[in-house]
Amino acid sequence: MKKLIGLALAVLVASVAAATASAGSQVAASSQAVSCNGTLKIALVTPLTGGAGFLGEQQGSWAKYAVKTLAKPLGLKIQLVLGDTPVEQGAAVAQTLAQKYVGDPRVLGVIGPATSGSAVASTKTYQQAGIVQISPSATRTTLTKAAPTLEGTPSFFRVVPGDYIQGPTDAHYMIDKLKAKKVVIIDFQEPYSTGLADAAQSVLKAAGVSVTRLSAPNTTTDYSAYVTKVPSDADIVFFPTQKPGDAQTFAQQLIEQGKKAKVFGSDGSNDSTAFKVPGSYVSNFAPDITAIAADKSVIAGWKKDNPGKPVGSFGPPAYGAVQVMLNAIKKACVVDHGVIKQKRDVLRQMKKVRINNWILGGSFRFSTKSNDPLNAKFYIFQIQSNGSYKLVG
Amino acid sequence: MDTFIQLTIDALTLGSVYALIALGYTLVYGVLKLLNFAHGDVFMVGSFIGFGVLQLLGGTSNPIVPIWALLVLVTLAAMAGCAVLGVVIERFAYRPLRNAPRIAPLISALGVSFFLANSMQLLFGAQPRNYDTFSLANGALYLHGIDIGQVRVPLLRIITIVAAFVMMVMLWYLVNKTRTGKAMRATSFDLEAAAMMGIDIDKVIVFTFVLGSALAGAAGVMFGLRVPTNVSIGFVAGLKGFTAAVIGGIGSIPGAMAGGLILGFAEAYTQGYISTKWSDLVVFLILIAFMIFRPQGLLGRADIHKV
Repeated sequence: MKKLIGLALAVLVASVAAATASAGSQVAASSQAVSCNGTLKIALVTPLTGGAGFLGEQQGSWAKYAVKTLAKPLGLKIQLVLGDTPVEQGAAVAQTLAQKYVGDPRVLGVIGPATSGSAVASTKTYQQAGIVQISPSATRTTLTKAAPTLEGTPSFFRVVPGDYIQGPTDAHYMIDKLKAKKVVIIDFQEPYSTGLADAAQSVLKAAGVSVTRLSAPNTTTDYSAYVTKVPSDADIVFFPTQKPGDAQTFAQQLIEQGKKAKVFGSDGSNDSTAFKVPGSYVSNFAPDITAIAADKSVIAGWKKDNPGKPVGSFGPPAYGAVQVMLNAIKKACVVDHGVIKQKRDVLRQMKKVRINNWILGGSFRFSTKSNDPLNAKFYIFQIQSNGSYKLVG
Repeated sequence: MDTFIQLTIDALTLGSVYALIALGYTLVYGVLKLLNFAHGDVFMVGSFIGFGVLQLLGGTSNPIVPIWALLVLVTLAAMAGCAVLGVVIERFAYRPLRNAPRIAPLISALGVSFFLANSMQLLFGAQPRNYDTFSLANGALYLHGIDIGQVRVPLLRIITIVAAFVMMVMLWYLVNKTRTGKAMRATSFDLEAAAMMGIDIDKVIVFTFVLGSALAGAAGVMFGLRVPTNVSIGFVAGLKGFTAAVIGGIGSIPGAMAGGLILGFAEAYTQGYISTKWSDLVVFLILIAFMIFRPQGLLGRADIHKV
């Protein structure tokens, strides 16, 4: 039996090793020229499967719709390719995908990576090949700011604000509006949640709020033991997960154990179909776009292609990211007279892009000081008794 | 003291689910000497069948049958569905390899595991499925229960723990006190000799898969009642169930029960008293310690080889 178990473990280790082996291969930078008259590719890198698969499904449907409706008016033929980065499988998958896209001469840009962990793991590879990435959801501060060390690269952009805005926004809401005296913060041992937890924690501590920090593996499904550690007089549990179902479980288990604390989730748990315990809070980088009059025709068109699906909050920024990317490609095509000489030419045009009717409201342009959007902010919602999200801050 | 009670309840809940999964591993290993790595994914399928039947019965917000009937029907449907799945897996993935080298069915088991996880994703998508037990009778399963000191043991926990122990006792009875159980034990002891004594080995093996998979289905529902399920839960659950089976002594039914509970207690107490970061480390350290110092597990028997 001992031999068989040893054999079984060896097979398991071998299968894991095989899956990650390609991560070590050399980066092959591509500088082949491509004609703007041919089909060009952009890649969407997002978790299509796993616990955060909802995020990829939303982003995928909106990105496809953006390509379908926006490419032709710009005179482009665009093919959207999908890359899956399940959050449970760590950063190696993102690195493997990056090498694949770097090696494909027709991939001119990446929509994503969607999660901060994937972005940190792969942005240097894209940078070396001159491929621009524009994320619709990676919010880790150090992807665009040296605070204290820059983990991103000059080729990484995002259309949503970073956690240096989200963390303090959430913390100030807890202090000023909810009058919180005792807060429990949980991180999930990966870049997104640790960065956000750190950002909120520093503001809370500076304001004299008592903070207890807990840390759970990203594969945790049952939070009973963590709930046990929440003091009975805690006001808020800040729960910056990327899996809204986990926020729901945590909120239910708080009630189960008779704890009065409310769950305060981040953009990663902003999903009204999965996180719906009344009284809980979530923050998000996007408002409810169904309330924006200028978006009505876009929403109607998307709903026609995706009958019965909720608009969601992760999809619209992906639509915006594709819009920015296509405009940058178009500018590169014009500057290069119809033949993009190298992928870096698209990157060079990125900061020049302006969008007047931005899907998240108002207009869009990048900040001159970073690769973040100018004047973007986070919104706070409270879950109502009917499960709907009400904008409260 | 309250923390201790709370952690003990957590441990019993976790441990009873692990034990049910471990029993599936141990039953199949006992009879076929096969580590069925697809078992975790059978557990996952069980949780999805439970979810589907729950929706057919009106969901938790508007059930068309009484709550007790809802829980029983959902569990039985998952057990039945997984039993059928177990039979299919045995027939097509393991039986053709019964006389092949041991590595072959092991690789086949891994293949079935990936096949199930990916098929479920293609069929149902990656979205987590929430049983939303909280909506059942306005949260009654969470808000009502037995008070021990300052700690409330909610009805949902009581149902999970009691149901798991009832199933384990029934399994023990079936294996030790019935004619079918005697055939299973004989097959487990010596497959060839059992066949020569007139036992229909194929039937016994199929029945073993039915039992193990049905228990995984029940465990899947117990899991889904408390935590959202998705197509990727099978790997970790399977790994924990396998670990519990090895700790208890793979092939031993009481061992699997004990192993599951040991794992549950190790996880809960480590998270509560040491650090939430260390629970998996402690669990797998226990596994390594058993592999080094008592490879036959707590209640397993050491292999005896003719030399």
